[in-house]
Amino acid sequence: MYKIILKLAFKNAFLRLARTILVIVMIAVSMSMMLSIQGLYDGMTFSMADKIKRSDCGDISLYSKNYRITRAIKDDISDATAIQKELLKNGDVDAVVLRLKAEGLSSTARKSAFSVIVGIDLNEEEKFGQFSRFLKQGEIRLGKRDVLLGSELAKKLKVKIGSKVIFSTQDSTGEINGISLRVRGIVETNNILLDKSALFVDKTRLQKFLGVSKEEATQIAIRTNSQTLLKQLQARYPHLDVKSFLELYPIIQQMQDLMFIFNSLSFLIVMLVVFIGIMGVMYVSILDRIREFGIMRSIGMGYSLIRSQIFLEAFFVGFVGYIIGAFLGFFALKYLQNYGLDLSEFADGLASFGYSSTLYATIKFSYFSSTFIAIMAASFLSVLLPLRKIKNMNTIEVTKANI
Amino acid sequence: MFFLALKNILFYKGRSITTFALTFFSTFSFIVYVAMMDGSHNSILHNALKVYVGAIEIYEKGYREIGGNEYLLYNVHKKEEILKNIEGVSSFTSRYETYGLLSSDEYSSAAMVVGINPTKEVQHSQLKNALILGEYLDGSANNCLYVGSDLAKRLHVKLDSKVSFIGSASDNSFAADIFKVCGMFKTGAYEFDSSSAFIDRGYFDTLMLSEDMASYIHVNVTDLSDVDLIQQKIQAALDDPKLEVLTWKTLMASMVEAMKVDSIFGYISISLFFVVIFFVIMIFSFINASSRLREFGTLRAIGLSSANINVLLFYEIFILSTLAIILAAPLGAYVAYYFNANPIIIEGMSETYKEYGIVSDELPLSFDLFTIAWNVGIVYLLNFLSILYPMRFINRFKPLEALKHV
Repeated sequence: MYKIILKLAFKNAFLRLARTILVIVMIAVSMSMMLSIQGLYDGMTFSMADKIKRSDCGDISLYSKNYRITRAIKDDISDATAIQKELLKNGDVDAVVLRLKAEGLSSTARKSAFSVIVGIDLNEEEKFGQFSRFLKQGEIRLGKRDVLLGSELAKKLKVKIGSKVIFSTQDSTGEINGISLRVRGIVETNNILLDKSALFVDKTRLQKFLGVSKEEATQIAIRTNSQTLLKQLQARYPHLDVKSFLELYPIIQQMQDLMFIFNSLSFLIVMLVVFIGIMGVMYVSILDRIREFGIMRSIGMGYSLIRSQIFLEAFFVGFVGYIIGAFLGFFALKYLQNYGLDLSEFADGLASFGYSSTLYATIKFSYFSSTFIAIMAASFLSVLLPLRKIKNMNTIEVTKANI
Repeated sequence: MFFLALKNILFYKGRSITTFALTFFSTFSFIVYVAMMDGSHNSILHNALKVYVGAIEIYEKGYREIGGNEYLLYNVHKKEEILKNIEGVSSFTSRYETYGLLSSDEYSSAAMVVGINPTKEVQHSQLKNALILGEYLDGSANNCLYVGSDLAKRLHVKLDSKVSFIGSASDNSFAADIFKVCGMFKTGAYEFDSSSAFIDRGYFDTLMLSEDMASYIHVNVTDLSDVDLIQQKIQAALDDPKLEVLTWKTLMASMVEAMKVDSIFGYISISLFFVVIFFVIMIFSFINASSRLREFGTLRAIGLSSANINVLLFYEIFILSTLAIILAAPLGAYVAYYFNANPIIIEGMSETYKEYGIVSDELPLSFDLFTIAWNVGIVYLLNFLSILYPMRFINRFKPLEALKHV
C-alpha cells in the first residue's frame, strides 16, 4: 500500500509540471542566494577576525597591567622572554610572539603622520600568523634600517619602496629620539589600526633604539585552540593583563552577533515567504483534486494514508528544490571561497572597514543542514491547512461536486 | 476591462490578499530599509563635514599629493578678497597645519598642530561646540593650546599644563616653543581627538613664519547641493592653474566609497527578499491564471483578443499593487520622516564604532521623496514582471483549448 502511496505522491507532485517547476525554482534560487549571502558575510567577518589575530593579538594577549591605558614603554613586561619560554612549554599553546610598540611621529621630507613603531621577529611572526602573506609591495625583510609600512600609512606619507622615513618618539629614559629607516615593504593586514599607523621594524633594533633590554616587550600574543588556556593564564600571571581576542576587539563580537541576527532574520523572512509560496501551490493542487480524494476516501482509503501521500508530495517538491538550491548554493560558495568577489574598484572604501578588496566566502555544513530542516518544515507545514480541508470534507458531496 | 479586473480581484480573494500583503510588506520594508541605509550614510558624511573637513577646500597643487612647505598657499589675503565676491560662498577661513611632536613632562606624542582664526573657525567646524574642559581660543594671539581629549590623555596633561612643541617652520627651519593647555575638546572622531591640537594663528604665524600663508582655505557654501557649481566659480575667479579647488566628495573620497560599498551590500541583502517575493507573487498569479483558463477561453470566444486578456491581467496586478503601495508608501514615508526628525538613539554606538567614522549615537533615517519614488517604482516593476509568465502561459492556449481545459 505504501508503495502505491509513494508512487501516487511522486506522480501527483509533478502532475502540474509548470506550477511545480515554479515552486522548485523559487526554493532553489532563494536558497542559493541566501547561502551565498550568508557565506559571504560570514567570510568577511571571519577573514577580518583571522587577520586581526594573525597581525596583532592572536587568540590571547598578555600586557602589563597599565600598558593598555598609558601605552608607555615604562609599562612593558620586563620578563617577557622568560614568560615566552614558559608558554612554549605549554601543550595548549600553538605559537607565541613578543612585540614591542611605541607611539610617535613618522616623517618624510614633506609629510608627517602619527604612527606606532612595532618591533617584531619575522621568523616568530611567520610561525604565528604567516606575516609574509600581508605583503603588498616590496619584500619581507628587516635589515638594520629596514621598515615595513602599513598600507594606509604609506599612502598618507606618500612613500614608495626605498623611500626614507624618520620616526621620532620618546625612549625609555624620556628623551626624544629619532631613527632613520628605509621602506623595504608595504604590508596590508586589514587591521585598520595597524594599516593606518604601523611601522614594523626588527625587534632587537627597536629594543636598542628605545633603550630597553632584550627581555622586555609590551605584548605577548598567543595562538591557541584551547578554550581553557585563558583562565589558566589569568591564574598563572595575576600581575599581567591577560585578555582574549574578543575582549581586545569587542567590535568583532558585535559584528558576529549582528551578522548572526541579520542572517537569522533573513532566513526567517525568506522561509516564511517560501512557506507561503509552497502553501499556495499545495492548497490549489489539493483543491484541484478534491474529488479524487473524495473517491479515495469512499473506496476505503484511510485519512492517514491520504495525509501521508500529501506529506510525501510536499516532501518531493521541497526536496527537489532543496537539492537544486544546495547544488547552486554550494557552487556559488565554492566559487566565492576560491576566487572571491573582486571589489578592487572600491578598495579604499573596503579598507576603511578593515576588509580586503577581494571578499571570500566560508562554507559551513550548518548552512545546508539548517536550510534543509527549514525547507522541509516549510513544506510540511504548508500542507496542514489543505489537510484540514480533506479531513473535514463530506466525501459524498465532494465526489458529486463539479469542480 | 478595468471593472472586470476589479471584480476578479474581489472574487479571487486568496490570490488578492497574498499579492496585496506581499506588495505591502516589500514596499514598506524597502522604503524603511533604504531610508535607514541612506540616513546612516548621510549622518556619517555630514558629521565628518561638521567636524573639520570643508565643503570646499583650496590648495596649492601638490600639497595633498606631495606635501611640504613648497606647496603652501601664498597671498592668502588676496585670495580671500576674491572669495568674498563669489555667490554661494557663505564663509571662509584659512588654516596652517603642521605635524610635530608635543611633549609634557614625561610623555610625548606626535600631533597635528593647526593655526586657526578662532572667531572665523566657529562657522567652519564643531571645535568650539566640542569644548569639554577649560575654554575655547579667545582670539588673542597667545600661546593657548586647544587640545583633543584623547591627545591630552596620551600626554597626561591637564588644564594649564605646559606642553613643548618641536616641528619645522614654513621656511624649513627648526621651530620649538612652549604652549599652555587652555582647553580640551571631544568631537567623537577618535583619530581627530587623539592627534589634533589648535592654536591662534596670530601667535602661531610668528613661530612658523607663516604670515599671509596657509595650508589651505576652508570654504563654506550656502547650499551643499550646489557645491560643484560653486567649485567651478571659485576655480574661475581665482584663475590660477597652480591652485586646486576640491569639494568634500574628493576630500572624503574613501569615506564616500565606503558608503557606496555599504550600500551595495545593503542592496544585495534586500534583493534576496525581492527575489523570493517576486517568485511568490508570480506563483500566485500563475495559479490564479491557470485555474481561470476556462474563463479566459470564454472571454476569447466572445471576441476579446489575447491583448485584451493581457490588459485584464495587467489591470488586476496594477490595482492590487497600487492599493498596497498607496497604503505602504505613505506609512514607510512617515516612518522615514518621523525618524528623520527624531533620530533613533543607540547608546554607545559612537564609542563602539569610533574607528569607522561614527561620531554620534544618533541614527537618523533619510527622508527623500525621490528615493521613495524609485523604491515604489521598483516594486511596481517587479510586480509587473511577475505576471509576464502567467500571460505567456494563457496565450499559449487557443480559445477552444482553453474552454475545454480541466
